[in-house]
Amino acid sequence: MSGGKALPRRGFLQKGLVGGALLLVGGAGSLALRSTRLSSAPRGPLKLLSLQEHAVFTAAAARIIPAAPSWPTPEALDCGGKADALLALCHPEVGVDFKRLLTLFENGLFGLVTHGRPTPFTRLDPAAQEARLDAWRRSRMALLRSGYLALTRLTHASYYSSPEVYALIGYPGPPDVPAEAR
Amino acid sequence: MATLTPDFCIIGSGAGGSVAAAVLAQAGAKVLILEEGAHHTRRAFNMQESWAYPALYQDHGNRATDDLAIIILQGRAVGGGTTVNWTSSFRAPERTLGLWRERHDVDIDAATLAPHYAAVEERLNIKEGTFDDVNRNNQKLWDGASKLGWQPELIRRSVKGCARLGYCGLGCPIDAKQSALITFVPDAVAAGAELRPDCRATKIELEGRRVVSVVAEGPDGPITVRPRRGLLVAGGAINTPALLLRNRLDSNGIVGRRTFLHPTVPVIGIFREPVEAFYGAPQSVSCHQFADRLDRVGYVLETAPVHPMLAAIAFPGHGEAHRQIAARLPFVQATIALLIDGHHDDVGGAIDVTAGGRINIAYPIAEPLREAARDAIKNMARLLLAAGAEQVMTLHDDPVTIRDEGDLARVDRTPFEPQRHTLFSAHQMGGCPMGQDTRRSVVDSRGRHHAIENLWITDGSVFPTALGVNPQLAVYAHARLFATQIARQG
Repeated sequence: MSGGKALPRRGFLQKGLVGGALLLVGGAGSLALRSTRLSSAPRGPLKLLSLQEHAVFTAAAARIIPAAPSWPTPEALDCGGKADALLALCHPEVGVDFKRLLTLFENGLFGLVTHGRPTPFTRLDPAAQEARLDAWRRSRMALLRSGYLALTRLTHASYYSSPEVYALIGYPGPPDVPAEAR
Repeated sequence: MATLTPDFCIIGSGAGGSVAAAVLAQAGAKVLILEEGAHHTRRAFNMQESWAYPALYQDHGNRATDDLAIIILQGRAVGGGTTVNWTSSFRAPERTLGLWRERHDVDIDAATLAPHYAAVEERLNIKEGTFDDVNRNNQKLWDGASKLGWQPELIRRSVKGCARLGYCGLGCPIDAKQSALITFVPDAVAAGAELRPDCRATKIELEGRRVVSVVAEGPDGPITVRPRRGLLVAGGAINTPALLLRNRLDSNGIVGRRTFLHPTVPVIGIFREPVEAFYGAPQSVSCHQFADRLDRVGYVLETAPVHPMLAAIAFPGHGEAHRQIAARLPFVQATIALLIDGHHDDVGGAIDVTAGGRINIAYPIAEPLREAARDAIKNMARLLLAAGAEQVMTLHDDPVTIRDEGDLARVDRTPFEPQRHTLFSAHQMGGCPMGQDTRRSVVDSRGRHHAIENLWITDGSVFPTALGVNPQLAVYAHARLFATQIARQG
């Protein structure tokens, strides 16, 4: 009845040989984030992410939801702070994986491999940033597609759950609760 | 460390745990319910996604398969999944019960379950579906299916005095939804059960073939529970296998395997007139035309509510193209196909846990499921076009836009690989299958563990395959059957 065998760890950045290699790149955080261009300061103290990691997420979010007239930017809605707060609630291993993802996404050397630009993501111009994001989206490596989904879902979730956006998408918001039902 | 000595300790207060607690407490047993989620009530349910997903869902709304290919929506609160489900109530199809008897050696039939369904339906006020519940989102499903001759059905719902606000998935703010939170949990407490929310069971300790204690982390520190008569685990079909695995109760490798998700494939129809799929009863119409596809994986068609955050993470891609879809939110209709996994040769997914306690969920999308997904996408597109959609958009990474029958062939040419199409799961089943064959199952057909005499499992993890319909009501009924048997055994 009791097998008692050791169970393999399968975090989403630790799958197979390729995943292991990527982890090494992503794990070199202090080096990879040394040249990160910092964004404007977070609204409040960060719970999980470093300033550099927050800057990478904020830069990615600005590409995922690019500026448009009358639409607030993800930075204006503090999507970075909201993402940080949510990740801090999750299992610690989720936070570790996400920090590695941000480091890998920012890493210039890895950028050279994926789409030919050896520059940290935060220092790329918008067109090159879009190219890197798209390279992850369309990668043949499932691991990078997972990374793309993690970044886009967290950005979209924090942005579109903000009441400031409701009117822009034609959503009136929750209805009033009928008085007789209170 | 505090020590408690109930007759029965029940882990989980969702459909399976709550009804079992009520049955046992009403039979005179001293019952303790441990619930890892918080005890929120209707006044907290503000209908805002930014609050509800982190507060009421597993992993704070971030649960997914390891590769993030399937977003898993699963409740975590007093009332479990019933606090956030969309109220759809189905009995287990005879087709599924027959499969379980024939291939999985399960000794349960419809007649055995009938009185338990009746009792649960009475308590949850489940009555025949009504057209008054059908919002525009569901009306499109009804209209499209009807025009194609596919026989839509009204869904029975677990509600009383429903105002059809549309926010069942974020907690009902008026207690119209007859969730376990306001039915079987209070019933159990009224009969003397003790409920401990924010209390997460971590350790199960055995002596010989009996559970002697459970250790849980509570808000005031760890507690030890020494159940005099038994332990019932009802943490749901991901957390229950994970708890057993953490305690090395893996039943020779069976626990956590054959996990089924009803992988759910959405498509969206864009209509000229507003659909406002964010308002109204979330699900009131279903279509079972393709549930039985003989040797191919079947699927059921339903709808999903279209709230901003859930829609935004479902819509593919990013940038301006993504924004253009989001900006048409009131005109979006969402139809979904629940793939019925496990009824053929597909083996579902697998749960395991890391040394640090994190749950991993692997779910490869086998080719038979991909075939069913492609077929479902094409049929959902046909249905929405018949209902008057201006266009139908698939949720492939590169969406296929469908305006007429001639566009459907492109669905077959578009890759359906992990992370290249949005997939959800709102129904988790399996991982601790029931059956009489001790080599292939973890518990018997009344939920008792094959090797631990005072351990029962009373949640959807005992289902040997996916159910083929929304499983809430079937989980209640099976748990009530099991608990009634446990109470009789004294």
